[in-house]
Amino acid sequence: MAVKDLRNPIKDQVAIVGIGEVGYVRDAKMSEMAMTAEACIRAIQDAGLTKKDIDGIVAQKSAEFEEIHEGLGIPELYWSQDTTVGTVFGHAVTYAANAVFGGSCNYALVAWTTYRAGASQSARNDPFRARYGTTFVGGQTRGSGDDARLYHHNANPYGAFGWRYLKQYGLSREAWGLLAINNRSNASRTPTACLRTPITMDDYMNARWIREPLALLDMEIPVDSSTALIITTAERAKALKHRPVYIHATSFGENRFGTHQYELAEDYEHLSTWVCMRALWHKSELQLKDVDVCYPYDGFTCIATTWIESMGWAPPGGALVFFKKHWDASENRIKVDGRRMFHTHGGSLSYGGSTGASYFPEAVRQLRGQAANQVPNAKVALLGVGGFFHNSTAALLRAD
Amino acid sequence: MVTDQEVFDRWPNVYLSFDNLEHYRGLLEKRLLIKKCQSCGYWVYPHFPRCPDCWSADLTFTEVSGKGRVYLLTVFHQVRPYPGDPHSSVLPLPYPGAAVELVEQKGLRYAAPIVGIDPSRITMDMPVELTWIEGADVPKPAFRPAGRS
Repeated sequence: MAVKDLRNPIKDQVAIVGIGEVGYVRDAKMSEMAMTAEACIRAIQDAGLTKKDIDGIVAQKSAEFEEIHEGLGIPELYWSQDTTVGTVFGHAVTYAANAVFGGSCNYALVAWTTYRAGASQSARNDPFRARYGTTFVGGQTRGSGDDARLYHHNANPYGAFGWRYLKQYGLSREAWGLLAINNRSNASRTPTACLRTPITMDDYMNARWIREPLALLDMEIPVDSSTALIITTAERAKALKHRPVYIHATSFGENRFGTHQYELAEDYEHLSTWVCMRALWHKSELQLKDVDVCYPYDGFTCIATTWIESMGWAPPGGALVFFKKHWDASENRIKVDGRRMFHTHGGSLSYGGSTGASYFPEAVRQLRGQAANQVPNAKVALLGVGGFFHNSTAALLRAD
Repeated sequence: MVTDQEVFDRWPNVYLSFDNLEHYRGLLEKRLLIKKCQSCGYWVYPHFPRCPDCWSADLTFTEVSGKGRVYLLTVFHQVRPYPGDPHSSVLPLPYPGAAVELVEQKGLRYAAPIVGIDPSRITMDMPVELTWIEGADVPKPAFRPAGRS
């Protein structure tokens, strides 16, 4: 492709409607989060909007979008974008413009903050500035750093919400065990999967505790991996060699409570997976009954059962009843209506953990009719990729 | 009176800032301080610079009662060595790490270990009260079953 092939359907279709600036001084005598909050408030008010209007944020790493979201009390986001150290403001504007144009959100907030730190003499002599320079690492230490960081930006709150799930709905871990067995059964039929030896419920229940109630077989198998996709227009796709797999709809979902500090998530039925799925079903003409293959994020088993309930396969707390209803005892896996399957390749639990990357090539293989563990007549794939708090995403893929 | 520099020195690996320094000064004095919005009364946690509800900057660190209920729990059987895990220098494994919902406000939760009870006996929403773990480099908040000394 060359410059002559570029298109510009976004021309004049999006606009900047609010601006806010703070600082541009040598020493603002306030934290960079305080500066960010003030600039965002000024921009929102300049546009004549309120926090309820903002539904997308792109932020540079010294102003992480989760902290802005929870810190300004914005109710829900349906789009967000992190950026890395090398990103410049022009990238962020294009990301936001594409998000609005594509329908991912309607009012995107772009937030960008600089804080003078590092090797300068004045920075070293100022304890606040010096500490920022030594402890701030791309958002990971932000907001954390007290001994209350038990649940901050790590895996522990997943087990903790898993604990509450079991208690609140009066459940044993059997649903999680059935999912682990399902995934291993499917992996055993997929030559490229990492773990292919079948497991039993005894194996599952006897596995050692890591973050109780999560044990070893509740957790994905860490692997080295790399995944790549090519995406183009539908028109070009039809001229290429494989059956096109169309992106029918995508969504993100983030709830204000718990996006930045996870233990503050409102409650089980308001985790971000629910926000994300409401957004996806709203955008889609397809429904759950049309779905042939499904990939609910399984970094941990408890995340997968949450996705399955958020998607609508079962009511809150109902995953166990749903699994048992559709359990194929001769094949040791879930087959909804005798055909439709979850994690056809084994998922992160058994194919390998890659924060959901493996789901997309497998879904494409299924919809092309070329999968090792093929669901007959697979035309629609539903993917729920992400966790409970700040990174829920979902997609519907379909083929003709 | 604890100076700013002493707070910086006692937590060398923590991102201390204008927005949270008072919380840590309070920990040294074994006081659990959470910001409260003076404009609308909302308890602000984590230590944001503005009230997320009304956007006021008029926030004051205020001592909480220390009473709450166990909202979330996970039992740590395997942890990264201290300071990756903050409590493994003073608590034997496995130890229960909770998020306690404080009585001051729905959804106001503080993450800390539960002490003084076998992890298997901790129930959902069990009432607890604030205590402090001794013997570490800084006072560490924890919660114990309510009504016990």
